[in-house]
Amino acid sequence: MLQQRVSRRKILAGALGATATLALPGAAAPAAPAVKKGTSLRLWILKTYVEPTNKAVEASAQRWAQKHGATVTVEYFTFEDMQTKYVAAIENRSTPDVGQLETGAPARFAGMGQLLDLTSFARQIEGEVGKPPANVAPVTVIGDKVYAIPWYIMAPFWYVWRDVFEKNKVKLPTTFEEARQAAQALNRPKDNFYGLGQSWNRTADGYGVMQSLMYSYGVGWAGKDGKHRSIKTPAMQQVMRWATDIYKEGLQPADTLTWTGSGNNENFIARNIAQTSNGPSITFALENALAKATDAKDRKLKEEALANHLALPHPAGPDGRRMWAIAMSFGIFKSSKDPEAAMSLVAHLLSPEETLNVMKDSSGQFAPVLDKARAASKDYFSKNESYRNFGRAAEWFVGTGWPGPVTAAAAEVQASNVLTDAPAKVIVDKWSVDQAIDWEEKKIKEIYDTLRAG
Amino acid sequence: MHRDGSLGVAVARPRAAGRRPALGRDTGTALLFLSPLFVLVVGLILYPCFRAVWLSLTDKLVGYPERFVGLRNYEYLVHDDAFHQVIRNSLVFTVGSVALKVVTGLAMALVLDAVVKGRTFFRGLFLLPWITSTVIIALTWRWMFDAFPGRGFFNSVLLDLGLMDRPIAFMATPAGAMAAVVVANWWRGFPFFGVSLLAGMHSIPRELYEAASVDGAVAWRRFWHITLPGLKHVLIVTTLLSFILTINDFNIIYVMTRGGPGSATQVFATYSYQVAFGQLRWGRGVTISIFLAPLLVVGIALITRALLRERT
Repeated sequence: MLQQRVSRRKILAGALGATATLALPGAAAPAAPAVKKGTSLRLWILKTYVEPTNKAVEASAQRWAQKHGATVTVEYFTFEDMQTKYVAAIENRSTPDVGQLETGAPARFAGMGQLLDLTSFARQIEGEVGKPPANVAPVTVIGDKVYAIPWYIMAPFWYVWRDVFEKNKVKLPTTFEEARQAAQALNRPKDNFYGLGQSWNRTADGYGVMQSLMYSYGVGWAGKDGKHRSIKTPAMQQVMRWATDIYKEGLQPADTLTWTGSGNNENFIARNIAQTSNGPSITFALENALAKATDAKDRKLKEEALANHLALPHPAGPDGRRMWAIAMSFGIFKSSKDPEAAMSLVAHLLSPEETLNVMKDSSGQFAPVLDKARAASKDYFSKNESYRNFGRAAEWFVGTGWPGPVTAAAAEVQASNVLTDAPAKVIVDKWSVDQAIDWEEKKIKEIYDTLRAG
Repeated sequence: MHRDGSLGVAVARPRAAGRRPALGRDTGTALLFLSPLFVLVVGLILYPCFRAVWLSLTDKLVGYPERFVGLRNYEYLVHDDAFHQVIRNSLVFTVGSVALKVVTGLAMALVLDAVVKGRTFFRGLFLLPWITSTVIIALTWRWMFDAFPGRGFFNSVLLDLGLMDRPIAFMATPAGAMAAVVVANWWRGFPFFGVSLLAGMHSIPRELYEAASVDGAVAWRRFWHITLPGLKHVLIVTTLLSFILTINDFNIIYVMTRGGPGSATQVFATYSYQVAFGQLRWGRGVTISIFLAPLLVVGIALITRALLRERT
């Protein structure tokens, strides 16, 4: 494995060049490697639903470019084409210098030999940007090497209409079972109002929540060593029952299974459902709507909506609260012609100052994970109860393949849609719970048995 | 299109005796002029085909070199229950869509053939679905079938007419979702049939209709005994082309259902995409997409041979 080491002298030179007067009290300039003038880098970043965040990341990259007399070409990928773009780039040998990677990507791409070993670099900038929490670090550490550096968590939360719960004297849910009971209490199909909206579709709103549900019930398809283990357990039966009973009991709109990505947002914002799992883009939409209010009456309505919506932590299960989330990190591809400049750019983006600049334009969607930025973000996340929960995303985070590390096989299980196809087989094809679990077990085992080690 | 309704496929006839030798002094020039075509055929058709077949015989994973595994991918798919469902779904989707397209395309052609005033305008109008972006069509039909209160077209109409008191989730059941994607595909594709069949109708000699009318044949009999036989070749070719395009359709299903609910509308293209780009198993993904190719090639060859035989 190619090991890119950056000399201490270069780091010091870079650090000298970096600004010493950061806006944040106590924040220091990251130890950035030196950059040749005229360097040109390609940076791939995620285009989130919160447009100001995207612009903030791009602006941050351009600040680095301006500072170093370099150019950064920012290219976006969306949730939809993230995998497709990387796959095409890898096969065509046109990977960017620096790429934002989602939860499973570091394990997959490092296994392919695409990513630079950043172990030394991570250690070198640790003093400036801090360390990720112990539960987040395994996303970017494969074997004993660091292949990417985590930046933020984009987590799902349990959105509820607080006023609906209060009016009906229903307790806000803290567990999945309480969420189902609340859905039963609040369900009014005759008025087209449903207690819950949870789709087992082929997006993160489907497979992400399914993982949170499984892990919170203590079910994982891999052991701590990352090797396959059976899911044919009583706990998995409970998981599958919860996942399918919410459909059988008519607690959700009839088209819930057909939602693709934005269905839960729309139904929640339109107040067709009392609760749903989603990222903070719902809060962004409500904040944005208020900012665009046309008159006093409209403004009052939107203020009420904003005040009444509440993002709770994801419900817990009998085994605890484990929240699967998208953990975004930065990796540097081996194809980069100027790895040192790429490292400098990454160090710049990860610096507490730049991180906070981006975070402030995210409506809570961007929860930093490196401890320096987390410490500096406390004020931002104290705005209200929803934001306080957003700020704790990293605490509850678990990665794909819990309790083991994120592996290529675990990421493939998620990508194969088997996690959500199994409950769909019970709901749509009228399979029994045990039949669906047997099928899921077979599919997962097959992935582990047939995936090449490299 | 020839007046006998055939597609005018050029058929090589045996040369008369005393023809020039195959290799003459112009051979070099001929080869020179043919070489760009040769490069195009090899580069754009043969190489991708052979590459796809080769990949299907490997366990190619994205980012890793391919390893020859023989027919293992095919063997896997033969035993894969998800793939069995994909085959069923693909056939239902394709046969359903193409059948609807044939019937409505024929109706469109008959109506346009009868219309005297504004024929060009209506012909252009009917072509709109064919020239509109498939993604836009898929999104529009998704919206039409939507169960979101106050948004889905069909639900809004039915609710406003007081025919029901809550929206119907058309796409929430396997049959409903399949019907929705079939309808969207049919709507997009029927103008192709309409325009092709209309052109075919124009090539049928008018005298045949006049003679039939004199003999007392009613409209139905004229259609059955003159129009349909006259359109035979066009119908076969358009159906064949539409079958191939429909069985490989990706956009409509991906945008409208993503293969769901569950796997109820998962077809070759969407399953291949999921396996190749989601699971990163390119070898298997390619195998899914070319699994039916031999059958299609045989079908095309048989139909083409039959058409050519009738011509000669």
